[in-house]
Amino acid sequence: MRSWLKMIKELTIRPKGERKVRKSPSYSIDEDLKKPLSGQTVKEILSKSSDIVFREFFLQGKERIPCLLIVVDGLVDKNLLDEFVLKPLMVELVGHPELAKATLSNVIDITIQSLLPGVEIKKISEMKDAVSSILSGDSVIFFGDSSEAIVIGARGWAHRGVNEPIAESIVKGPHEGFAETLRINTSLLRRKIKHPSLRIISLKLGDMSNTDLVVTYIEKIASPDIVSEVLKRLAKIKMDSVIDVGYIEEMIEDNPYSPFPQIAYTERPDVLAGKLLEGKVGIIVDGTPIVLVVPAILTQFLNVNEDYYQRAMTAILSRFVRYVGAFVAVVAPSVYIAVTTFHQEIIPTDLLMSISAGRQGVPFPALLEAITMTVVLEILQEAGLRLPKPIGQTIGIVGALIIGDAAVNAGLVSPLMVIIIGLTAVASYAIPYYDLSLAVRLIRFPLMILAGILGFFGVAVGLYAIMIHLLGLRSFGVPYTSPIAPLRIRALLQDTFVRAPWWALKSRPQLMDVEEPRPNGKG
Amino acid sequence: MGTTFLPVASLVTGVGGRDGWMSVLPGFAVGIPYSLMILSLSEQYPRKNLLQISEAVFGKWIGKSLGFYYTLIVVYLGGLLLGQIGDIYQASTMPVTPLWVFFLGGIFLVLFLIKSGIEVFARFSEVVFPLIVIALLLNVGLSVPRIEQGELLPILSEGFKPIFLGATKVIPFVMTYMLFLAGIIAFLPTGKQELSQLKTGVWRIIFLVGILDTFVVLIQLLIFGPAETIRIVYGLLVLGKLVEVSRTVAGVESLFLGVWLSAAVIKIGSLFYAVIWGLESVFGLKGVNWRHAIAVVFLGIAFRFVRGPSLIIEIGLVDEYLIMPFVSLWIPILWGVSRWKRGAGI
Repeated sequence: MRSWLKMIKELTIRPKGERKVRKSPSYSIDEDLKKPLSGQTVKEILSKSSDIVFREFFLQGKERIPCLLIVVDGLVDKNLLDEFVLKPLMVELVGHPELAKATLSNVIDITIQSLLPGVEIKKISEMKDAVSSILSGDSVIFFGDSSEAIVIGARGWAHRGVNEPIAESIVKGPHEGFAETLRINTSLLRRKIKHPSLRIISLKLGDMSNTDLVVTYIEKIASPDIVSEVLKRLAKIKMDSVIDVGYIEEMIEDNPYSPFPQIAYTERPDVLAGKLLEGKVGIIVDGTPIVLVVPAILTQFLNVNEDYYQRAMTAILSRFVRYVGAFVAVVAPSVYIAVTTFHQEIIPTDLLMSISAGRQGVPFPALLEAITMTVVLEILQEAGLRLPKPIGQTIGIVGALIIGDAAVNAGLVSPLMVIIIGLTAVASYAIPYYDLSLAVRLIRFPLMILAGILGFFGVAVGLYAIMIHLLGLRSFGVPYTSPIAPLRIRALLQDTFVRAPWWALKSRPQLMDVEEPRPNGKG
Repeated sequence: MGTTFLPVASLVTGVGGRDGWMSVLPGFAVGIPYSLMILSLSEQYPRKNLLQISEAVFGKWIGKSLGFYYTLIVVYLGGLLLGQIGDIYQASTMPVTPLWVFFLGGIFLVLFLIKSGIEVFARFSEVVFPLIVIALLLNVGLSVPRIEQGELLPILSEGFKPIFLGATKVIPFVMTYMLFLAGIIAFLPTGKQELSQLKTGVWRIIFLVGILDTFVVLIQLLIFGPAETIRIVYGLLVLGKLVEVSRTVAGVESLFLGVWLSAAVIKIGSLFYAVIWGLESVFGLKGVNWRHAIAVVFLGIAFRFVRGPSLIIEIGLVDEYLIMPFVSLWIPILWGVSRWKRGAGI
């Protein structure tokens, strides 16, 4: 019994200090990494993998120096390596006065300072640095039995180009999106913010995956408290691998039991740049195009970057439609259930007669009807999501039209219920962030049950409970419902439900401590 | 503001007749000097509630006795208001649903709010207040076509006496608010600038609520006339029943009740907090278990009382005979004695 309780506790309560998840077992390699640096030891460690290339050659200096180049096949740019490393060292520089002075003791310094022209060249003396560099795609040259080596940055692998993100497509605005390579992503960001105050701090996570990630923010705009909190929470993570940002999202969010997303994400450099300029902090992880943005607030999940590229008036209309859509997606089925089951008095007689006629012959109560239809809709969405596009569309047509029509004709559901569920589905697509859309889908079920049992009283209790929950949430110390509660009038009027014209956006959002005023906007 | 806007029309018209609507704003204005006295005490005794200040000013036993009485009346009123949730829902839109369902729903929200902390409680009020105002304005605005202007005339035919009498029915509501303010001051900032902002806030909110409630009474008088306004206890809900918008939406009473529920939760929540502070100050009792015990007591009081007019009468009696005399004497005396002590250097 006690072990069961312990297991349940482990599965449900997130530890407060160091957060260990699937910590990797200890290997003999861990001991090898503590040994002094030597080319032969590295070769022994890595020789069991067929994708590691060991290239031995000699350098003709003052003495004949044996060299060993180790790279991972597929992770390096071979042309670059041949043209700018091997060819100069083995052919072109033979007889060069500097090379002629080289001995085993000074060859590394001479090579770095006088022989190799690359930008990313550095000296290392730790075994773990050598192994880590090779496995990350760098090229490492060892010289005889020297306890130092040279790391050359000549990474190059097959990667996806800069394409428009499918999940965040827009009509007006830049169409480039992040890729899976960290450096491409940081360069895309740097192209948007060409200012020395843009900070990019590198970290590594995952004992096995050794995943590179960067924390980026703009100094003097981002709150130092939030930046240090982000770094502190990341430092607490102990995992064996980080394959995607989702791995770390759950480890650093404030309330892991909430269905609502507390960390925003984007695949667009322009969105990330915009958020950094608002004082937020980005977390870019190698291997995924998704970038995390913290802190996040609720209304941020209903606003999109295109709002800032359109004219203010049209942006306001778009936002209004989105907010109405989100509200409809949350309450439409439960309100329908409450009205048809408990509060018919709210509907004028003519409309009531029409609804009653539609429901005539339907054998199920409205609650069961709505829950069944919603579950069918969820199955259709889930089925269509991961299928190839043409089949996905077929699923949509079969599900929505054929099954819906057949169900109405068979008298199993009323036509109005099909309309309500269809409207709910369409309205939920108006929510731009997928994570929030999922949360809305989740909270719809308890609301429907409450509406079916307690009518509007149940809906009100459910909505207020959700409201209290939301009001208590925080994202990296920032209240989730800001600027509505706590009320920040300026932020509310400038850039929440409406978007003021650019010339009126004179200050950054008052969601956190921001030290520097926004310089744009007419006086 | 709490839940005053439902019974206020019936109460003030009952004693003030057709001129009762004019008594609402003066009645609420009585809250201003009391609020200022409480804020002044908070300045003098930072981070202490009025119960702790009473102990410091009057001595341990008088302070504890006052705290004991305070706790008793807030727990009793809180339970009665929880009962009112069931009473209103059952009387208006859901007559066959058992009362305990409403009680449990209400106490669940109150407990959740209390568990979330005073900060969330404040934010909940911040979000809900505009909803209440919008719902009230919509209800009042959509009822305008049914107005009969003659119902208001003649004005002041019986002099200023109805205004004075009406105000006596509004003051207990204000005094209930003072009970909450007496406890929450321990959490308010005490800097000079913040206190000045709080004082301005008190003025603003009292006038805003006073004006809104005046509209609520006025519209009911203009539509139902004085006799019907007195008879219908929850007149605003009846107004909601009468609303019809372009043959599309009718009888928005149930929607309006949804908004009212939030106001009721805030008021019961504030009394719940008052009980917590009372128990802490007088008996030193605190912790989650005691909160659950308070919830059980609230439920017990809600179940104990018969429904219908008796509950409203009971709430009126508590307001008028237990809360109003206590608060109207306690706060000025406490303020006066503390000023005198400070002046005398005691």
